[in-house]
Amino acid sequence: MNGRLRSLLPLLAGVLLAATPALALAPPETVCIQCHGGQAGPLGDPAREWPGSVHQRNGISCHDCHGGDPADYANAMSPARGFIGVPAHDRVPEFCGRCHVGVLEDYRQSAHGRKVSEGGAQCVVCHGSHAVREASLDLINERDCSRCHDYGRAAEIRAALDETDARLAGLGEGFERLRRLGADVEPAKGKLFDLRNRFHRVFHSVEVDKVRAETGRVQAEAALLQAEIDAYDRQTARRRVWGGVAVGLLVMLGLVLLQVRHTYADEERRG
Amino acid sequence: MRVLTLIVDFVDRRLGVRELFDKELRGYLLPRNVNVWYTLGAVLLALFGLQILTGILLLIHYVPHADQAFASVQRITNEVPFGWLVRLLHAVGANVIVIALLLHMLSVLFMASYKGRREFTWLSGFGLFNLAMALCLTGYLLPWSQLSFWATTVATEAPGAIPVVGDLAREFLRGGATVGGQTLGRFFALHVVALPLALLGLIGLHLFCVKRRGISPPPFGSDYRSQELPAAFVHEEHRGGIPFFPNYVVKDAAVICFFLALLLGIVFFAPNLFFPPAAFEPADPFVTPPRIKPEWYFLWAYQTLKIFPSELIGLGVQGAFMTLLALLPFLDRGPERRPAKRPIFVTVFFLGLLVFVAISVWGHYS
Repeated sequence: MNGRLRSLLPLLAGVLLAATPALALAPPETVCIQCHGGQAGPLGDPAREWPGSVHQRNGISCHDCHGGDPADYANAMSPARGFIGVPAHDRVPEFCGRCHVGVLEDYRQSAHGRKVSEGGAQCVVCHGSHAVREASLDLINERDCSRCHDYGRAAEIRAALDETDARLAGLGEGFERLRRLGADVEPAKGKLFDLRNRFHRVFHSVEVDKVRAETGRVQAEAALLQAEIDAYDRQTARRRVWGGVAVGLLVMLGLVLLQVRHTYADEERRG
Repeated sequence: MRVLTLIVDFVDRRLGVRELFDKELRGYLLPRNVNVWYTLGAVLLALFGLQILTGILLLIHYVPHADQAFASVQRITNEVPFGWLVRLLHAVGANVIVIALLLHMLSVLFMASYKGRREFTWLSGFGLFNLAMALCLTGYLLPWSQLSFWATTVATEAPGAIPVVGDLAREFLRGGATVGGQTLGRFFALHVVALPLALLGLIGLHLFCVKRRGISPPPFGSDYRSQELPAAFVHEEHRGGIPFFPNYVVKDAAVICFFLALLLGIVFFAPNLFFPPAAFEPADPFVTPPRIKPEWYFLWAYQTLKIFPSELIGLGVQGAFMTLLALLPFLDRGPERRPAKRPIFVTVFFLGLLVFVAISVWGHYS
C-alpha cells in the first residue's frame, strides 16, 4: 500500500464511520415511572401494572389521569400543576369520566352508579385501576360479578351482548388487517370506535331491555362496516388474480428467454 | 416496422448509430464461461430504472411536509389510480435492490473479480452500494409514519457517539436537535435529487470502468489462467468470446424477468413482508412504538452497536469493517482467483456471511 493511500485512510474511515447507520434508542420515561418503578409495595404497583394496560397501549400515561409535571421531579406531584392523588371511592367515576364522558352518563343512571356513595361498584372495581382492562364482555363474568351480587341478571345482559360484541371485535380485527395492507381505514375505524363506545355505554346501564334494543341498532350499523371490509377484500382478491397472471407471464417469459439463450449457446459450441 | 427502419436510417446517417451498435454491443465479447451471476448488474440497472420511474410517479402526489406527508402517502395508496401499485413497487423494489446488490457484491467477492487492477471498478461499486443504502435510509423517512420517524431517530442518533463532532454531525443530519419537519425537508432533497444524481454518475463511472478494463472472467473451468498484474493499462479482451448482444442480453433479460416476478410476487401476495405495523401509523414524536427496528439490511449495524459496551466502539468496528471492505483490492493483491486455491479467503467469506446473518437475526429478535 503506498503512502498516499495510507494518508487517505483516516479520512475514508471517518466518512464510512459517519455513514454507518442505526443505534438503539430507549424511549423516554416520565419521572413518575422512574420514581415509582423503583419502589417496592403499593407505591411501586402502579408503575408495574400500567405497562400492557389499555391506557399504556394508547399512550395514556400517569400524568394524563393524575396530572402533575411528568418531566420534572420537583413538580411531578405539585397541585399547582394539576396533580391529583388517589381519588376517593365515590369520586372515581368523576375522575375517569373526565375522558369517558358518555360512559359516565350511563353509569350514573345505572344501579351501580346510583349506589356508588354506598360502596356500589365504580370503574376500577371492574376495570382495574392501573392495569386497566379494555372494555369487553370478559369483564362480565361470574367470578367478578359475584363478588358483590348474584350473577343471574349480569349473565342475561352478557348473553344479549355476546354476538354483537364478537362481531365488533371481528370488525376491529378486519380493519386492522386492512390497515396493514395500506388501506385508509381511519374513517371506518372512527365509525367503529363510535359504535363500540355506544355499545359499551349500554353495558353500564345494566338494563336488559335497553341492552337488547340498542344491540339491534348496533348490529345494523356493524353490517354496513362489514360491507366495507368485504368490498376491500373483493378488490384485493381481484388484484391478486392480476398479480398472479403478471408473475406467471414474467416467469414464462424468463424461461423462454433462457431457451433462446440455450439456442445461442448451441451455436457458440458449434462455432 | 418500415417506419422504424426509416427512423433508424435517419439517425444512422447523422450519428452512425449502426456502427456504434455493432461495435459496442454485437462486437463486445464476453468470456465464453460467463455465468448467471454476471446478469446481476443488468438486473440492478433495470431495478434502479424502475425506482426512478415509480419515484417520479410518486413525486406527482407526495407532499414533503410533516403535516401532510403521511396523508399524501395514504392518498396515493387509496385514491390515486394504481397508486398502491406504484408505491409498493417503489418500497418493495428498494428491498429487492438491496438483495440484488448483496448478491452482486458477494459474487464479485467470491470470484475475486476485483483483482487485476480493477480497484476503480470495485470502489465505484462499493460507493454505489453505500449510495443505495443512503437512498433507502432517506426514503424510509418520507412516508412520515411511526416507523419512519423512530427508525430515523435511531439512525441519526448514531453519529452522536463520535467524539468532538458527534453532536454537530447529528444536528447536521437532522437539521435540528430532534427529527422533525426540517429533517424531512433535507432527507427529501437528498432522496429525490442529490443521491439519485450521484447514483447515476457513479453508475456511469462503474460501467465505464467495467467496459474500459474489460470483464473479469469467472475463475472456473479449464480456460482459467492466473494473470500477473500488467505493468501498464491493458484492456482485457476475450477473443472468441460470446457477443454481448444478442447472445448474453437474452440471459440478462431472463434474470430480470425472474427478479421482476419476485418483486410482483411480494407486491401482490405478501405486500407487508417488509413493513411492520408501525409503518402504517402517522408519526408521533411523543409515542415511541415498542420494538422499533431498522430495516433488515441495517439490523447487523443496529445489533453491533448493542453488542459492544460503548456505542463508539460499535461504530468503530462498523467503520473498520466497511473500510476494510472498501480497500480489499488494495490489500488482497495475489494473482490467484480460484476459490478452491484460496481456502483462507473462502473460509473468511463464509464465516463473515454467517456472522452477518446471525447478527441480523439476533438484532431482529433482541
